[in-house]
Amino acid sequence: MSDVGKVRLRVPASIKAGDVIRVRCLVIHPMERIERDKAGKIIDKKYQYIDTVTVTYLGKTVATFDTTQSVSENPFFAFAVKATDPGKLTVAFHDTHGQKYEGSVDIAFS
Amino acid sequence: MAGWGRDGGVTRRTVIGALAVAGGAVTLRLPVPAVAAEVPLGQNEPLDAALKRVFGGRPMKDGAGMIKLDIPLIAENGAVVPVSVEVNAPMTPQSYVKSIYIVADKNRIPIVTRVSLTPASGQAYMGANIRLGETTDVRAIVEQSDGTLFALKREVKVTVGGCGG
Repeated sequence: MSDVGKVRLRVPASIKAGDVIRVRCLVIHPMERIERDKAGKIIDKKYQYIDTVTVTYLGKTVATFDTTQSVSENPFFAFAVKATDPGKLTVAFHDTHGQKYEGSVDIAFS
Repeated sequence: MAGWGRDGGVTRRTVIGALAVAGGAVTLRLPVPAVAAEVPLGQNEPLDAALKRVFGGRPMKDGAGMIKLDIPLIAENGAVVPVSVEVNAPMTPQSYVKSIYIVADKNRIPIVTRVSLTPASGQAYMGANIRLGETTDVRAIVEQSDGTLFALKREVKVTVGGCGG
């Protein structure tokens, strides 16, 4: 499980100023589901899953995902951003164990 | 500054500094879920309770024609179901799509995700991979910046459930 926290980001190959681009991102994460014991009772523990995803572009928060355990393992997210200026786009993941994973990509115009 | 508590990066200094102000605010805020953005999502509850808790019984308009919900009709593997939502609405500072909710009716945790958007998004679009426990209706609920709600739902047949537990 050494890959946990690996973030991959995809943006279109060619971006023009003012384009609304779709960004896809993926993070390797177990997203633990609720476990039950033999009697069907929920085991009470602190499940590790991503609860917040924050997208930052040019220093401003563009979108936030609040996620629950109903999101798949190794979650994939997509969102749109209006590419106004060249700069950095960062996607930060935060899970219930306080871990943070981050990935970023430079938006450049061609 | 990341002083928003939820990022887990609360240091002793921020706690002490904010104690007088925020401490009172937090205790006040918890029992009154007035703003949807402050309601916790991931709870094990039936659909009705979840919708009532998050949306407070506000009426929902039919989002057909406005919302494009893209999800397979049949999902062979409920552990990974790709879903995407596109909303045909302007994204200007005056009027924009504030949040998109994905709700799976029969999941034990029905509210799957909430996406909060800003006008800088340019377009109200989101995609994610979600889990479905069994054959269920999946809803996309869109909240506009003025608080209007639009909903659209679609049934997804699930061959193998993906929620476990």
